[in-house]
Amino acid sequence: MRDVRVLIVDDEPDIRATVSAMLEIEGYEVAEAANGADALHALEDRLPDVILLDMRMPVLDGWGFAAELRRRGHRTPIVVMTAARDAAHWAAEIAAAAFVAKPFGFDDLIEAVEQVAHPPA
Amino acid sequence: MTALELISLVTQLLFVGLFVAVLLAALTRPSRAAWDTVLLFGSIAAVVAVTRFAALLRLPDAPWLTGLVLLGLSVAPYAMIRLVDDFSRVPRWLLPVGAVAFLGVGILGFAAFTTAPILVEVVTIAWFLGVGGYSAYAFAQAASNSRGITRSRMTAVAIGALVFIGTIVMAFVDALAAAVSLEALTQLGALVAVIAFFIGFAPPAWIRRAWREPDLRRFLERSIHLATLGDERRALVEIQQAAAVAFGASGASIGLAVEGRPVLRYVNAAGDWVEYPDDAFIAGQAFREQRRIVAMDAGQVDPDHADVYRSSSATTVIAAPVTSEERRIGVLSIYADRAPIFVEDDLWLLELLADHTAVLLESRKIATAESRLRAREDSARLKEEFLSAAAHDLRTPLTVVLGQAELLERRLERNPTAPVDPAGVMRLAREARRLRDLVSELLDAQRLEEGAAVMDRNPADLRSIVESVRHRYHDQGIDLKTTLPGEPLVGSIDVPRFEQVLDNLVENALKYGSDGVLPEVHLDQHDGEARLSVVDRGMGVPEDEVDRIFDRFYRATNVQSITDTGIGLGLYICRRIVEAHGGRIWVEPTPGGGSTFVVSIPAEVPVPETDQWSAPAAWPVAGSEAAADA
Repeated sequence: MRDVRVLIVDDEPDIRATVSAMLEIEGYEVAEAANGADALHALEDRLPDVILLDMRMPVLDGWGFAAELRRRGHRTPIVVMTAARDAAHWAAEIAAAAFVAKPFGFDDLIEAVEQVAHPPA
Repeated sequence: MTALELISLVTQLLFVGLFVAVLLAALTRPSRAAWDTVLLFGSIAAVVAVTRFAALLRLPDAPWLTGLVLLGLSVAPYAMIRLVDDFSRVPRWLLPVGAVAFLGVGILGFAAFTTAPILVEVVTIAWFLGVGGYSAYAFAQAASNSRGITRSRMTAVAIGALVFIGTIVMAFVDALAAAVSLEALTQLGALVAVIAFFIGFAPPAWIRRAWREPDLRRFLERSIHLATLGDERRALVEIQQAAAVAFGASGASIGLAVEGRPVLRYVNAAGDWVEYPDDAFIAGQAFREQRRIVAMDAGQVDPDHADVYRSSSATTVIAAPVTSEERRIGVLSIYADRAPIFVEDDLWLLELLADHTAVLLESRKIATAESRLRAREDSARLKEEFLSAAAHDLRTPLTVVLGQAELLERRLERNPTAPVDPAGVMRLAREARRLRDLVSELLDAQRLEEGAAVMDRNPADLRSIVESVRHRYHDQGIDLKTTLPGEPLVGSIDVPRFEQVLDNLVENALKYGSDGVLPEVHLDQHDGEARLSVVDRGMGVPEDEVDRIFDRFYRATNVQSITDTGIGLGLYICRRIVEAHGGRIWVEPTPGGGSTFVVSIPAEVPVPETDQWSAPAAWPVAGSEAAADA
């Protein structure tokens, strides 16, 4: 039904695995990256439809990744996922389409991704 | 009137004035010394009066007149040795012998002046030179043995006595040898003597103020920092010492009132609190009656405690209540091994010191209240920090636990017979454990912070602690390299807590060390200390952060972004535990790269002859340091 590809960028392997499993069971196609640099690398393969982005990561953080993404001209929607209190503020900073604050549940995540992947017309 | 006559008049007026001053002093505060002073200046004033009246009435130079003057003058040396006896001590026989001698000299002068004037004059000169000279010397001695204002006054008295004796001798020589005229010199000498006596025996207020200043300054300089000194008993002992020094006394003691109970608390020689009923001792009497007490002979005033006073060489005790406005704080007493020479000055200083003591004790109270308030603020801020740190660091594992659990739930809903997802269950369990560890780390830190982590310290061999940690890692398939000394290295240790420190350091070394190079643990002895080093070959700690990494919630900047289960409390907890053991923890670079964390705590190689090991007395009582820090 959906052929939506989601790129999960987070330095915590358990978070990546959990989020992957949640999206897969909902029928999304997923790819993972451990930081911003890995994610940029993954873009070269195939462009995702949605990017789930942690903000604080080693090597290249969420801000750096978002800036580079826009610089390359991609307009892929980003969903910020962070444990920080100012999730909304950070999302606005990088012009993200949505955010989910950790700890998020199943429905929070799917809702956010769905909203971004299929914006109400 | 010539200049000499003027000087003579001024001198004589001063002597009479001094006589009146000491007489008034003796009447208001009678003491043997006061009356001896009256005797000295009374005799001189009498001589002045007799000669003046004789001149006024134009009496001829009658022999009986000269005899009277001689008799009067011969009293002076006798009065001086009596004063010397009051201030220090003269040989027992000297006073009666002196009394007989002065009568002899006087009667001789009275009776034989006309028949054998030369003999009388020589005897009188000898009397003055001998006894008077001895007194002047004794006054100088007393001056050098005393201090503060007493020293200044005694010095003036000594100078007065010396010049006075010299002047009298010169006057006799003048009269004896017609060839020389020493009149100008005698008049000047008499003036200097009376001024010196005035300064010594009845100093004006402004001179006293100037003399007191150094004593007070010394007391304040010694004691001002005590307002913020943590330990109340030590502060009291130091105030006592400062008071004794300011006084030049052998000792001082402060008794503190205890609210709601009729007792005074003192610090005894061993540094412990002792309580006595608030009317015990002369100090207690001064406290109860809220007045100064001067007990020249303490054993006589308070015979019940005579042996106590004797054993602390407190011949004389003077005590004054310490009060702040209307509140009775306690009592200050000063002990001296001999009676104070100038009581009014000592009382004045005592009261001033009592007032300063009150100020010090009150400001201590304020300082303590302030630090308690600050501690409360600190603890409030700490709680906030804990909350926000917890909120942030607990969120990541919580996300996994929540997500994974809901995922399992969904799967079950959709297909109850679907096989379990082993990887998901493992993630769930792993992150739940991580949550548990974070929570206990937070609680640990908070307990340590609040000082509630009771240290249960017992003698333990540090080698066995290292061994048990090594075994634990061995069971997990991690082989730590350890080096241990050949002999036992025993410290007073809370073993589970200390193992936690070592665990934490090894854990860090594994986490931040370089892959494939296992951490090393070394234990060795270093001047009464055990040194435990945990060596890794990792990225090291940036040089400007080596101190801060032991602060709470601090994480080195070069690890902050790396996957890290910690909350920034691990090293902080280590530091608190090590400090509670009376030790230190620090980090130094490992030669060739990496970090070496070093823990140093008091420990020693037990003496082999005795199989019973006991902690050296110098070690803090279990838990006392943690409690003092909190």
